[in-house]
Amino acid sequence: MEKRPYILIVDDDPDILEGILTILETQPYRTATARDGKKCMEMIAQETPDLLILDLLMPRMDGWGVIREMRNNPAYLKVPIIVLTTVIEDASRRRYELETGMAMDVQDYVQKPARPDDLIQRIERLIAKQQ
Amino acid sequence: MVGETMTHSIMAERLRRSEIFSDLAEADLLAISEFCTEELYREGDLVFQEGQPADRLLVVERGKLALEKKVQLGRHSTPRNATIGYVGPGKMAGFSSLATPHEYSTSVVCIEPTRLIMVDGVALRAYLEANPAAGIKVMKTLSALIGDRYRGAINTLTYFLSIVSHELRSPLAAVENYLQTILGGYAGELIPKQERMLKRSLLRVIELRSLIGDVVDLARLRPEQIQADFEWFDPSEVGTESIEDARLLAAEKGVRIRVEPPPRFEPIVGARRRMRQVFTNLLNNAIKFSPPNSTVVFRARFEPQVMIFEVEDEGPGIPEEDLPHVFKDFFRGSGTSETAGAGLGLSIASKIVEAHNGEILIHNLEEETGKTGTRFTVRIPRNLKTPEMRRQEWMEQENSRKGP
Repeated sequence: MEKRPYILIVDDDPDILEGILTILETQPYRTATARDGKKCMEMIAQETPDLLILDLLMPRMDGWGVIREMRNNPAYLKVPIIVLTTVIEDASRRRYELETGMAMDVQDYVQKPARPDDLIQRIERLIAKQQ
Repeated sequence: MVGETMTHSIMAERLRRSEIFSDLAEADLLAISEFCTEELYREGDLVFQEGQPADRLLVVERGKLALEKKVQLGRHSTPRNATIGYVGPGKMAGFSSLATPHEYSTSVVCIEPTRLIMVDGVALRAYLEANPAAGIKVMKTLSALIGDRYRGAINTLTYFLSIVSHELRSPLAAVENYLQTILGGYAGELIPKQERMLKRSLLRVIELRSLIGDVVDLARLRPEQIQADFEWFDPSEVGTESIEDARLLAAEKGVRIRVEPPPRFEPIVGARRRMRQVFTNLLNNAIKFSPPNSTVVFRARFEPQVMIFEVEDEGPGIPEEDLPHVFKDFFRGSGTSETAGAGLGLSIASKIVEAHNGEILIHNLEEETGKTGTRFTVRIPRNLKTPEMRRQEWMEQENSRKGP
């Protein structure tokens, strides 16, 4: 059985995806990508990732929608989420709280662009916690 | 003359159908009709020109007009016209003729064959002054119209800024991400020349990103918005983040940042992200004006009432005549033509500090130390309150007012 942690990266910008994949290729992870929230949920249904890296402003279903669905589903409640976006954290949390009446339950929030070494550290930390 | 009276009563009837004159009495409408004429325009005709003396106002009877404003991006680009609104039947344009400085604030261009009632602004002004009851009615309508246009402009600006902010930031984030990835060695080895060029590219992209952020911020930096974000935070954390923000520019210029922390940090109340902006902007500013191989000092200390931050550089100092303007939007000092930047960093910093009831002081170091340099001092009061604290206080006051 495949032991390497599985990371799903969701962003509508193919250049961001390629950049992050290039960074993560040097690390001991399995990766997959999705270009919108709906596709992301489909892929999660096939295999639950050990970590989700999630953009917010996306077509079809945005990142806030993905967070809401995941936090409302006991099966995905514990999947750690790193939000990676150009949206400012305060504004983003306020929007989520206004829409759902709940605090935005994500494990990390990084404003784009992430520095590669910093991103790797954040991922390592969350994966380690997970196991 | 019978004919003329007829014409005036017809004109008066037409004026009544317009938004601006609809509340006026018959006698007023008849009087105003005397200095109205009907004019026809074709598609493409220029009716009023922005910046020209405003001596007439118009009411559209039939057709459609566009309000246009000249826009020039940068000093050297070709000016273009931007349409900021339309005027259709019953609506008016040219209210500048009723208000100082009596200069058209936009151009008015016909976009359909149009029939207008043109009103002599000078005569109308005189009539309204002589008949205050009519004057007040017209001014009431006018202020509502102007209010609408103002709100429209604010909405457009906010919408525009949020679009600009996201649409500009996203591609830039992708480019910056690639550059970081390549420079981090994740996409293979680089020869030194490539590395140097990519480092320069990264620096320029970061510069552009912060410029976009600044322009967007400028419209959002209202004190009440900043105060809504007040929270307890550890100033040492924020300081460390700011140093990290400025690190690349410092390395590029060969400038050292020396940190002089207080013996012990205590939490303060403020808008955390905004305070980081203040320090980052002050540090970037200091580094920009620093000679190579010099030192920028970043110092913090506590006094009973205030927390004090200082940023000192060994640059040329700020000329006396520039000092009153340093915190103005888009101000760039004399002798700064070689230095990058739009001149927004310090004005943003000062707006943020003001929203904290604090102050920023500038001090030329030459008198003190005999060497050139500038010190920016930020003083933040230590008695600021978070929204939650203000709410609590309000509740307590309410309770004590109501009594047991």
